Amino acid sequence: MKVILLKDTDGKDREGLFHDKVLDALQKEGISDKWKLVRVVDIGIYNRGVALKILPAGFTYTDLTEEDIPGIVRKSIKEGKEIKEKISSVKDKQVKIVLRNCGVIDPENIESYLETGGYQGLKKVLFEYKPEESIEELKISGLRGRGGGGFPLWMKWNFARKTRSDEKYVICNGDEGDPGAYMDRSVLEGDPHSVLEGMLVAGYLVGAQKGYFYIRAEYPLAISRVQKAVDDAQEYGLLGNNILGSDFSFSIEIRLGAGAFVCGEETALIASIEGKRGYPSPRPPYPSVKGLWGRPTVINNVETLANVPVIFTKGGKWFSKIGSPTSKGTKVFALTGKIKNSGLVEVPMGITLREIIYDIGGGMLNSYDIKAVQTGGPSGGVISKEHLDTPVDYENLQKLGSIMGSGGMIVIDESDCMVDLAKFYMNFCVDESCGKCAPCRIGTTQMLEYLDSISKGKASQEDIAKLKKIATAVKKASLCGLGQTAPNPVLSTLRYFEEEYLEHIRDKKCRAGKCKELLEYTIIQEKCRRCSLCFRNCPVSAISGNNKEGFVIDNEKCIKCGNCFEVCKFEAISRG
Amino acid sequence: MPKLTKDNLEAYAKKAAAHKVKDVIRVGMSTCGIAAGAEEVYEVLKNEVRQRNLGIEIQKCGCSGKCYAEPLVEVIVKDLPAVVYGKVDKTFALAIVDRHVINGELLNDHIFDVQEANGDEK
Repeated sequence: MKVILLKDTDGKDREGLFHDKVLDALQKEGISDKWKLVRVVDIGIYNRGVALKILPAGFTYTDLTEEDIPGIVRKSIKEGKEIKEKISSVKDKQVKIVLRNCGVIDPENIESYLETGGYQGLKKVLFEYKPEESIEELKISGLRGRGGGGFPLWMKWNFARKTRSDEKYVICNGDEGDPGAYMDRSVLEGDPHSVLEGMLVAGYLVGAQKGYFYIRAEYPLAISRVQKAVDDAQEYGLLGNNILGSDFSFSIEIRLGAGAFVCGEETALIASIEGKRGYPSPRPPYPSVKGLWGRPTVINNVETLANVPVIFTKGGKWFSKIGSPTSKGTKVFALTGKIKNSGLVEVPMGITLREIIYDIGGGMLNSYDIKAVQTGGPSGGVISKEHLDTPVDYENLQKLGSIMGSGGMIVIDESDCMVDLAKFYMNFCVDESCGKCAPCRIGTTQMLEYLDSISKGKASQEDIAKLKKIATAVKKASLCGLGQTAPNPVLSTLRYFEEEYLEHIRDKKCRAGKCKELLEYTIIQEKCRRCSLCFRNCPVSAISGNNKEGFVIDNEKCIKCGNCFEVCKFEAISRG
Repeated sequence: MPKLTKDNLEAYAKKAAAHKVKDVIRVGMSTCGIAAGAEEVYEVLKNEVRQRNLGIEIQKCGCSGKCYAEPLVEVIVKDLPAVVYGKVDKTFALAIVDRHVINGELLNDHIFDVQEANGDEK
């Protein structure tokens, strides 16, 4: 069947005139019975006027005017020829490797995975390649750990492989704790077998017979689907003894994380599996040499492992062609914040933030301008809007003072306050610091105190220098990744938005209106129509007056909830 | 269930290569979909298809990434492209069965993604 998709990508054609115009033109040409015309909500193109896509030919036209329609209908639709000068250059920028099966297969049915070519990568590793060749394939692919560190996968596996030991272990790190990030949850819920297959390959290559799936207890659906996948794999002989008739045996156990952020750190995670308190320990020795129960242990993130089967089915060389020179493959981001299309995106490394936000994310949610992008959660930092054209990869993000992290990407607009943001993340780190080492335990609390006093307008300019000093000390002296990266949100907001900090201190002002203590609400009497809406909506009766004489706000009583500001229909309440 | 062997697995690979697409309705049932009401949509579709004896499979699947448009329902039927409907509720789920599956119509203002044409006519 032939289909024409129509979408008004910038919302100007409110009456839907184009739909009727195209329909008329189709009727005039006498082909309206052969074509289906449909208005769609999303055509993958944004802010390009009226867009039209013809299937199955695949021609896409954008920025159409009414005059273009008869020509397109005659030439492109009736005769099937493309009109070169009007064809759109917009391409789908997503490349799906990790999410290849998410939304396609039934995650609770192993047959569904097998029918899309599942476990073929494992088969190749078991029967067609020597282990050295497999490691070589991973080396060619250039795959680096997707948990945040970006360590080359082949090296990690090779260390564990070369270390002699009676037993070795493979751990899948599914303790995704960054606020706003949920890539791993989606993969575990949508395609658990691909992660399982990655673990099996890891087990075979390093010589392990036992694997642990570490998933946080807050993901009940992911846990039940992984459990089902493990049970099914057992039944089909993909786990257990003599897998697929080879001499390789492997079993998997699921362990639940109890909600501590620090347990996403590999040494703390290992302690947690051992039944100890989730405390990190100094590295080296790295887990690939001395890990779980003192044995060599390969520990990888969910997304990393989901990449592995594809590298063997399609080849390391194919994989290495995607991405930037230093970072190969794709990265899944959880795109959230002030963005229209919030959700998961999988993009090749080296794509710019601007492309992610405007071409895939559909642009900003509200009328506010973009201010910055936060990546990497509490371990990452912000990237100001001047750097939106930087290609995204491990090195570039680090240079900008942020990190790739596990893949949270929060879009921030002008209505967000950077001090407030830094405070939010610092609060998180104070809560989640395990308390083992002093720099992290004491340092994060001190930083929070400074941030708090800045947001209340009680700080002095010297406090910024002190804040920077503590941040650097915590970064240098902390034991594990949590503390070493905890100051990042503070340092990066200071790097790009120091002026905003100074405004809080010097002018006692928060331009975004987020820091409540600095706000003062007053009624502009000239604009006030005495409707009493604010009076009725004030939860603490801080507004007094009547319909005749007007109203005033008592700032002693005011709790700065902003209700009056929100409800006023005449913009008669000023905030500042 | 006898254990899979290397050769069994090859049979699956061949089956995958043949890539025969059958009619199916997929409902995104990850946490994001379920939170938006996908379970209800799934039940409605299942009942409707059973009652009318349509013989089309209703399949659960994971999240395709368009979390802002959940619950997502993908409809793949013969002679029509694979269409992803977003923000589907109970009533709209019935409309999908009625108009898309049975009458072969595409429904305005609810489509979030269209994949290449399916079936023989290309």
